[in-house]
Amino acid sequence: MSVRREIEIDAAPEDVWEALATEQGRERWLEDEAPEVVFVEVEEEPSRLVWWWSRDGDVEPTRVELLIVAVPIGSRVIVVESAPAFPLTMLAASLQMVVA
Amino acid sequence: MGGRDDVGSVFAALADPTRRGMVETLLQAGTTSVPELASALPMTRQAVAKHLAALDEAGLVERAADAGRVVRYRLRPGALTPASSWLRTTEQAWDGRLERLKRSTEGA
Repeated sequence: MSVRREIEIDAAPEDVWEALATEQGRERWLEDEAPEVVFVEVEEEPSRLVWWWSRDGDVEPTRVELLIVAVPIGSRVIVVESAPAFPLTMLAASLQMVVA
Repeated sequence: MGGRDDVGSVFAALADPTRRGMVETLLQAGTTSVPELASALPMTRQAVAKHLAALDEAGLVERAADAGRVVRYRLRPGALTPASSWLRTTEQAWDGRLERLKRSTEGA
């Protein structure tokens, strides 16, 4: 089960990286959402960052993958957050069930 | 709300690949039974029944109403809703975070 979102930002990938990969940078946009657990799995400056976090003690940690791609305007940021216990094939099916 | 515990128990039940397979079978077939699953999977009826009991405990399956000699199981309506609400909540959360990321980075 995973969620994918993206946005284009008028800033260089290096600046976006600083906002994602450093604690001071994250504070500016995560604000009071400081997660309880962060384990950094991948750090490929300035294009790919993967961390695990848990935003509530009784929920299994989820994996957040952030990709920074250079585009004409500056950077495209793609985020995929996954809860690994839940297979992707379930995603469509569970949504269909809820709609039905 | 109370959704977080529900999500946790759904995740826990589905952490097992055999049980995920059973739920996927139910999504496709609608109902199933211990004998059907046991003939499709490399395991005993007893093992199948144990997995179904775990899914039942997590609130994912229930006994189907249709009367017959063999008990049939189906997905409990709305059982996967906590998982779907996790998706919606997470999408909305990231939309907000990415907007703030954009503002803070472009303003820098």
